[in-house]
Amino acid sequence: MADEVTAEFEKTYGGRASIHAALHLPVGRSHVLVLFGASGAGKTTILRCLAGLERPTRGRIAFAGETWFDAEAGVQTPPQARAVGYLFQDYALFPHLTVAGNIAYALQDADRGEREARVRELFRLLRLEGLEDRRPDQLSGGQQQRVALARVLARRPRLLLLDEPLSALDAPTREQVRGELRGLLRGQRVPTVCVTHDWVEALALADEVAVLGGGRVLQVGSPDEVFSRPADAEVAAIVGVETVVPGRVVERKDDLAALDVGKARLWAVEPSGRGENFYLCIRAEDVTLEIGAPPGSSARNHLAGKVMEVRPAGPVSRVAVDCGFSLTALVTRQAARDLTLKPGTPVTATVKASAVHLVPR
Amino acid sequence: MNWTAILLTLKLAALTAVILLVVGMPIAYWLTYSRRRWKFLAESVVALPLVLPPTVLGFYVLVAIGPKSPIGHWYEAIVGHPLVFTFEGLLLASVLYSLPFAVQPFTAAFGAVDPKLIEASWTLGVSKLATFFRVTIPLSLAGVVTGVVLSFAHTMGEFGVVLMVGGNIEGVTRTVSIDIYDEVQALNYAAAGQTALFLLVVSFLILSVVYALNRNLWAVWPMK
Repeated sequence: MADEVTAEFEKTYGGRASIHAALHLPVGRSHVLVLFGASGAGKTTILRCLAGLERPTRGRIAFAGETWFDAEAGVQTPPQARAVGYLFQDYALFPHLTVAGNIAYALQDADRGEREARVRELFRLLRLEGLEDRRPDQLSGGQQQRVALARVLARRPRLLLLDEPLSALDAPTREQVRGELRGLLRGQRVPTVCVTHDWVEALALADEVAVLGGGRVLQVGSPDEVFSRPADAEVAAIVGVETVVPGRVVERKDDLAALDVGKARLWAVEPSGRGENFYLCIRAEDVTLEIGAPPGSSARNHLAGKVMEVRPAGPVSRVAVDCGFSLTALVTRQAARDLTLKPGTPVTATVKASAVHLVPR
Repeated sequence: MNWTAILLTLKLAALTAVILLVVGMPIAYWLTYSRRRWKFLAESVVALPLVLPPTVLGFYVLVAIGPKSPIGHWYEAIVGHPLVFTFEGLLLASVLYSLPFAVQPFTAAFGAVDPKLIEASWTLGVSKLATFFRVTIPLSLAGVVTGVVLSFAHTMGEFGVVLMVGGNIEGVTRTVSIDIYDEVQALNYAAAGQTALFLLVVSFLILSVVYALNRNLWAVWPMK
């Protein structure tokens, strides 16, 4: 317990909505916990309580044996004393200071030489050289994000809190910064809590995912566990992507890549990220099912399998198929009847290569 | 022109503005960030001099600083002379009279600073007080300058309060507006006209500076 961040608290708003948090993460090493949920699920409130910017109504927050909040004992450590790094959604850079001024802001008390060395180090780490004298409004979104990160890292925080770190960026920049951010977080020996509603971001950054819904933590687990095996229908609806499986690139050809997934091989559109290891994400509506064995075993993305479960959900049914890994397909009730799908039925599942989304892991 | 009155008025206005800068900031800070339910009462008290006849305000100040009041008595015991009909007494009245002209622009400017910037500073380990000086003030500089300049200009032109509290002592409490009144009473229209024109020009210049500042602070402020 001593080497953990423990947060078990509740925040109520005028007796109406309440948010319950129950989170644990290790201290002193890189570990990214992603809080995943729709907007309004209370993700930002949890971060603000961890930072000391808001006071929970009940419960306890402790950092490696140091009490940050205790409702019963009336303890609330101010944000200044918690030494966390809080990255705001729109970065909150000081508009009246230069880039260098923003980054050195937290280092006022350090002696001059030490401060300058640390600022130089951060400029190098985040590739900001040459921007020292710019003002925040003269920077691109990606640059602003890196300046904000450098400012947060400057005083060596013990815990990093990131509020939708990529949502303020345009799509192409986001993809690039996502990779950089992951590398950076792995390099810092600091636990991180990151809030997002974007499942690609969650998969790319997370060591562990906590799904939030209706103001409470519904499921905590590794990314593929949470996304592929949601604990219940509520979690499944929140994560919105039914199949997430780890895979390895074994072949690249024309703009496609072949990945080994369990015992099966799937083709996907060549990923932008380098590396071999990816999560394959497939939405259930992109999977079609036919009765019987594949027409030709060499055809791409025709997977032979067996129905494991048929679960009706309104006008459609979710069909779990074992084809070397667990794949979920969405079919209409009518089609489920016509195909006489029931556990044990041999089927062929087909997925277009363009429907296989790759997220580096 | 009565240069004694003009210099005295400038001194009174300058001191009032400086005192309001120091006193008005904490009041404005509290009014901006306090979540007390009865905050509106404090806001009303600060705004009172805007609507109250100066004679009413002057009357209460006169009673409050008179030798029979606790304040007047205490002041006389320490300093050795009464507070009423002195420059210090006049200064106190001026500070109260111009309070909203400083506090309201300060409050508006503080309230316009993005609270996230202040929270960002706190999470970076900077104390509330240091954050106020390093983030809030630099970002509300135009409002702070406006408040100081307006309270200076407003003090320059006060009449009723001075008449009630200051009396009319040459070189001590006879300000420009009182001097003009005296000259008119004595039918010296030429002298009154000169001083009046001087006050008009100075007031116009000051207000021009305020509006120019609020259009674009960085156009006149030497900051890169």
